[in-house]
Amino acid sequence: MSEAIAPSRPVPSAPPAAPKGRYRAEPVWVPWVFLAPFLLTFGVFLVWPLIQSVMLAFQQTFGPKTSAWVGLENFTFMFGDPLFWKAVRNTAIFAAGSVCVQLPLSLGLALLLNRPGLKGRAFFRMIFFAPSLVGLVFVGLLFGLMFAPRTGLVNTTLHGLFPAFDPEFPWLQLYIMPALILAALWLYVGFNMIYFLAALQNVPEELMEAAALDGAGPWHRFRHIVLPEILPIATFVVLMSLLGSLQLFELPFVLLDGGAGPDNRGLTIVMYLYQTGFVSGDLGYASAIGWVLALFMGAFAIGQKWFSKRQEES
Amino acid sequence: MFRELKKYLGGLFAATTPAVWVLLALALGAAIIVLPRPSNRKDTMKLWLFNKMHQQVYVTVAEDWNRAQPTPATEVETILLANAALERRLLSGFMSGTPVAELVETERFVGAKTFTGPLEDIGFMDITDRLREEGLLDAINGPSFAPWTSRGRIFGIPHDVHPVLLVYRSDIIEAAGIDLTKVETWAEFFNALRPLMVDEDGDGRPERYPLNFWATQTQILEQLLLQGDGTLFDAQERPRLDSERNAFLLSTIATWCGGPGRVVVDAPEFTAPGNTLKLRGTVLASLMPDWLGGIWKSDLPDLAGKLKLMPLPAWEKGGRRTSVIGGTMLGIPKTTRDFEASWAFAKRLYLDRETHVKFFAKTTIIPPVKASWGDPVFSTPDPYFSGQISGQLFIAQAANVPARTSSPYNEMAIARLSDVLIALVERVNREQISDPAILLPDARERVAAAQARVRKLIERNVFLREESAAVSAADPLPGSVSAPPVAGGSRVP
Repeated sequence: MSEAIAPSRPVPSAPPAAPKGRYRAEPVWVPWVFLAPFLLTFGVFLVWPLIQSVMLAFQQTFGPKTSAWVGLENFTFMFGDPLFWKAVRNTAIFAAGSVCVQLPLSLGLALLLNRPGLKGRAFFRMIFFAPSLVGLVFVGLLFGLMFAPRTGLVNTTLHGLFPAFDPEFPWLQLYIMPALILAALWLYVGFNMIYFLAALQNVPEELMEAAALDGAGPWHRFRHIVLPEILPIATFVVLMSLLGSLQLFELPFVLLDGGAGPDNRGLTIVMYLYQTGFVSGDLGYASAIGWVLALFMGAFAIGQKWFSKRQEES
Repeated sequence: MFRELKKYLGGLFAATTPAVWVLLALALGAAIIVLPRPSNRKDTMKLWLFNKMHQQVYVTVAEDWNRAQPTPATEVETILLANAALERRLLSGFMSGTPVAELVETERFVGAKTFTGPLEDIGFMDITDRLREEGLLDAINGPSFAPWTSRGRIFGIPHDVHPVLLVYRSDIIEAAGIDLTKVETWAEFFNALRPLMVDEDGDGRPERYPLNFWATQTQILEQLLLQGDGTLFDAQERPRLDSERNAFLLSTIATWCGGPGRVVVDAPEFTAPGNTLKLRGTVLASLMPDWLGGIWKSDLPDLAGKLKLMPLPAWEKGGRRTSVIGGTMLGIPKTTRDFEASWAFAKRLYLDRETHVKFFAKTTIIPPVKASWGDPVFSTPDPYFSGQISGQLFIAQAANVPARTSSPYNEMAIARLSDVLIALVERVNREQISDPAILLPDARERVAAAQARVRKLIERNVFLREESAAVSAADPLPGSVSAPPVAGGSRVP
């Protein structure tokens, strides 16, 4: 009787015993088996060629069997090579054209298309974006024909409108860089517009309305609301444009018929790399140019990261 | 360890989805079907080439050759590659040991690139002694060896001579009562055609120009320089851009391209705008190497019967009436399995009279083998050139063709001289200059700068540095712009 039934007490329960072997740690080598295909491909096709190209930059070669170590000679020659600096200057002009002309135009088009109540927005978006679907080679051929003296669309039109205009005006001899910037503008303005349009559509509507109620005009709304909101995207677009500009090759190659134009007026860094390595056969020098270009691009990428971080902090 | 692996793989298979199994089964099935099938490709001798017209002729020669071969090992298979692909594969083969054909037909600029290293590392067989032993050095037109000769050794059998004539619109010029047969110099030629440079539509510009040329057309610039004894490289393959002759030639050509004395128009070959200007008669005359004749026949058939050929007007009376451009050779790589078989086929292809005849009929290219020049086909009237005997017109100039260099730096040298010309033309246009003498001091400075740039680049080549130093010690470079002109080209033994 005295046996009272003891109230049941919650007993701290032990974790349920795991079925034997089910959650056992995998052997150490298992992740490596999974990683092996990637590591092998990465090593063979990226790391090894990179190491080789670093070594090549300090050599002169006539094939792997015949090579001579020249130390820093390729680099010292490069820094005193007027053609290299011409290529750097032309590339910088193109990059400046891309950033200072193309991107403001892209943003302008995006602002126009983002206007509330605009009819046919999808149609215009497609029209502006369409050129970027055709590719650089096509644009090179197209603009080559358009700028041809006597028979090209530009000269025949200008000569038709203004008979005093010289139908033989050699655009692709005197104004190569502006012609390249124009061709790239036609190709990429719509492409970059899409980025800006996406960024603009994410600007909070209530902020814009509040600012308007407070009496802010269109410029102030753009300056103090829109611009800060789209700045991360704008920074990204600027970086991509700069990196793309530094790698410019196909457009001048096709537009100038495989050369760099008279007096190398259309020579870009990558074209010079190509000419040095694959036309002149100086692979060591080409490799040195490639590494200097990689350093330029790395510097821009680091700059962009620093800028973005600073923006976030502020 | 093995037990663990087995267990692990067992788990892995159990977890694999059916789709993966299907894919694996398909891949395995395909491999089983493909692998046991014997290859259709015979182990033949391969001939790489880059020109479709050449291949069309060679295929029949190869078929005849193959019928006489006892084993497939000496049969020949022609493989047509794009020139850029051929260049990459050839250079990769020579430099990295990837497979190369037994015979390679290559054009001048690709060939020159194989000469940038030490002599003993050049991938083609040195055939100098063999040519001499078989008497082929005398049988073949001498200047034709130049582009395939490096440091005194020959690495290919030349395919052609490529003399250059002047082609003109006889329908327009003769209708205007102008007779070009008595014209001897460029100055006389331009004077004769100047009356046709009239402004017909009242826009202040003539509708016709005497010559197809522009400062950016480096191929024609090279032809004009070589014709006028301009210097690019000397016999030891050292650059000689800074000669007085070059300064004179470039100054004169600059006055053709701009200012009040302009007589040329830009109608580049192989382009739709260029061909349009030829069809319209905007351009009245063009420099025409023999190979270009075949291309015009194919690309500009509407001009048939409206054209005539004549020797190039000389720079001075009694001067050279021809020039040269391009060039093709047949080389035998050192990796060839059977040199004798390759050599025998190379001779059959390049030295055979019947092949020369077929080739001329298809391309207007004359062969370098002098014995073939007597064939009636080279004396047949050519309806495209208004019934003129084009073959004999080209052959008549073959011996006078200037020597071309085999230097791999030739392209670069021409590009630098083109830069000089462009700068001079811009000055001509700016200051409206018509007298070349005014340009001469400027031209001298610019060719000297071009020489310095090319020389600096060549001196970077550590493989040629020692050889260059030895040559310079034995034969010092003559002075700069006052040096006598030396015809460009490599020394042919």
